[in-house]
Amino acid sequence: MDMLSNLAGNISLGLSTALTATNLFYCFIGVLLGTVVGVIPGIGALAAISMLFPITFHLDPTSALIMLAGIWYGTSYGGNTASILLNIPGTPANAVACLDGYPMTLQGRGGVALLMTTGASFIGGSVGIILMMLFAPVIAGYALSFSSTEYFALMVLGLVAASTISDGSTLKGLAMVVLGIAVGTVGMDLYTGQARFTFGVLALSDGVNLVALAMGLFGVAEIIASIRHVNARGLDRSTVSLKAMKPTRDDIQRSAGPVARGSALGSFFGTLPGTGPAVAAFLAYAIEKRIAKQPERFGKGAIEGIMAPESANNAADQTSFIPTMALGIPGSATMALMLGALIIHGITPGPQLMTQQPDLFWGLVMSFWIGNVLLVVLNVPLIGVWVRLLLVPYHLLYPAVLMFIGIGVYTVNNNPFDIWMVTLFGALGYLMRLLKLPAAPLLLGFVLGPLMEEHFRRAMLVARGDLLVFIERPISATVLALTVALIVWNALSALRRRFNREALSNA
Amino acid sequence: MLKLDLRDIACGVLLVATGLFIAIYASASLDVGTIQRMGPGMFPIAVGVLLIGFGTAIAIPAFFRAGTFDQVEWRSTAAVLASLIAFAAMIRPFGLIPATIALITISALAEPKFRLISTLAMCLCLPMLAYLIFGLGLGLPLTMFAVPF
Repeated sequence: MDMLSNLAGNISLGLSTALTATNLFYCFIGVLLGTVVGVIPGIGALAAISMLFPITFHLDPTSALIMLAGIWYGTSYGGNTASILLNIPGTPANAVACLDGYPMTLQGRGGVALLMTTGASFIGGSVGIILMMLFAPVIAGYALSFSSTEYFALMVLGLVAASTISDGSTLKGLAMVVLGIAVGTVGMDLYTGQARFTFGVLALSDGVNLVALAMGLFGVAEIIASIRHVNARGLDRSTVSLKAMKPTRDDIQRSAGPVARGSALGSFFGTLPGTGPAVAAFLAYAIEKRIAKQPERFGKGAIEGIMAPESANNAADQTSFIPTMALGIPGSATMALMLGALIIHGITPGPQLMTQQPDLFWGLVMSFWIGNVLLVVLNVPLIGVWVRLLLVPYHLLYPAVLMFIGIGVYTVNNNPFDIWMVTLFGALGYLMRLLKLPAAPLLLGFVLGPLMEEHFRRAMLVARGDLLVFIERPISATVLALTVALIVWNALSALRRRFNREALSNA
Repeated sequence: MLKLDLRDIACGVLLVATGLFIAIYASASLDVGTIQRMGPGMFPIAVGVLLIGFGTAIAIPAFFRAGTFDQVEWRSTAAVLASLIAFAAMIRPFGLIPATIALITISALAEPKFRLISTLAMCLCLPMLAYLIFGLGLGLPLTMFAVPF
């Protein structure tokens, strides 16, 4: 009972924070921008968040976080528009919606698909928020007893999981995490004040600018790779009129199960590091197809095939905040940026955040509700506007994006040096694309690296240099064992893949 | 198709080189300390050694398999990076609006054919938008025009 009355108090505190005019405004701006960048292929959530990151320096931390979060879950709503209508995923998390969404458009049912997925997104998001309200405080309370040893172990697990599960080669992901940690060591050493890797450049003594790094790796590199490859296409606009959106009774009946399963699956995978909304959406689709009575309908416009992944990715969007806010350990590059926004405002992320700054945490959670309602309003009646946005050619878009990157990063310190850094990281980001090196683990390593070093050094001080402390304490031992298991499992499945391929080519 | 996977070899070699540089630079210029009282150099050295390890592990198997290499978009890369460099060089001496116009014009060269009309239109509209958002809207202290002499 005590917990319930606590929760009620927290909800009213959160609502009073989230419903102020300023926070409502920034929530609206966030979800609006999220929808816009979600709709437009070639600009992802990460690029958009890093572009708007500089603006948050001038806001109070709660408003800043509300806006950045709005962009993040807003892209999932907007992203399915391009997937369904044009067969181009607006964001990776919406790629699965192409499989059955585009066939629905070809059958003239694109409007129905858009309306129904907006509903699925809302339900998935709501489930995620409720779980966050219930579990984040419990986890944070438990984590209050953690020492540096446990934190170091958890961060190792987070980094390894995030870089091995996502995509491509495990080795490359891990290498990029380490490279990110290396970039994170640039600047003043916390304990001695000695300058590391600054090469006499004064602007580097505060470390590499997070905004410059993120914008270069995700914004500039993405533009270089997209210029000659993203083209607008023709589209029949009559399929998205309000009249054409009306679903049949059959559509609704078929959707209930997939949405429930998708929300549950998404909520679970959102909390794990590395398995963000994209993985959740793919799994949700695979499960629906496996348990379907007529699996042959999938890929030909089955409504279950868009409802399950869209509810899963939105649920995962919300629950991915749980480890970030309750433990201070982000599971993805986007969450690392959210954490960066807090650190820049001088707020230490971690379990004490909820007790020390309850208005920030609960205000953010309540803004999720407001943002999700706003998104439904934005997405259903205004769909025609977003469709027109899809038709803006990329050659008008990228100079504007570049301009916002340039001005945005300059305004952080009013120093042209940061623009040089964006250019450098843009070149690095494109090189990494050519070498098929993932960029997200680098950013994650960059944000977590300094924290890891601090916890490791503190743990060593306390344990008098005894490395065994990491396996003597039960929680850190369990976490590190999980990490090792994950690496072994990954190596084994890579070996098995190679074995199968060779068996295939010999046969 | 190449006989070697050149992409992963390049990738591994670059990582090993970076790791070597970090480890050598850190051990030469920073205090390493002991494991109980770690100096500023110890963590970077560990990071450098890890990079060397991962680089080697990526490069070695690449010698024994065929690979492909993506088309490099030289033109887009050059135009986009040059536009940012021009912006960085111009924003202090000339102010925001000339720097923005330079950025838009140079980045437009990334397209295979130069679109005069749309570039002119963007040079007119985007700086105005920048002024409205950053100058008027957010009230940031940005110089719009400046004379370097």
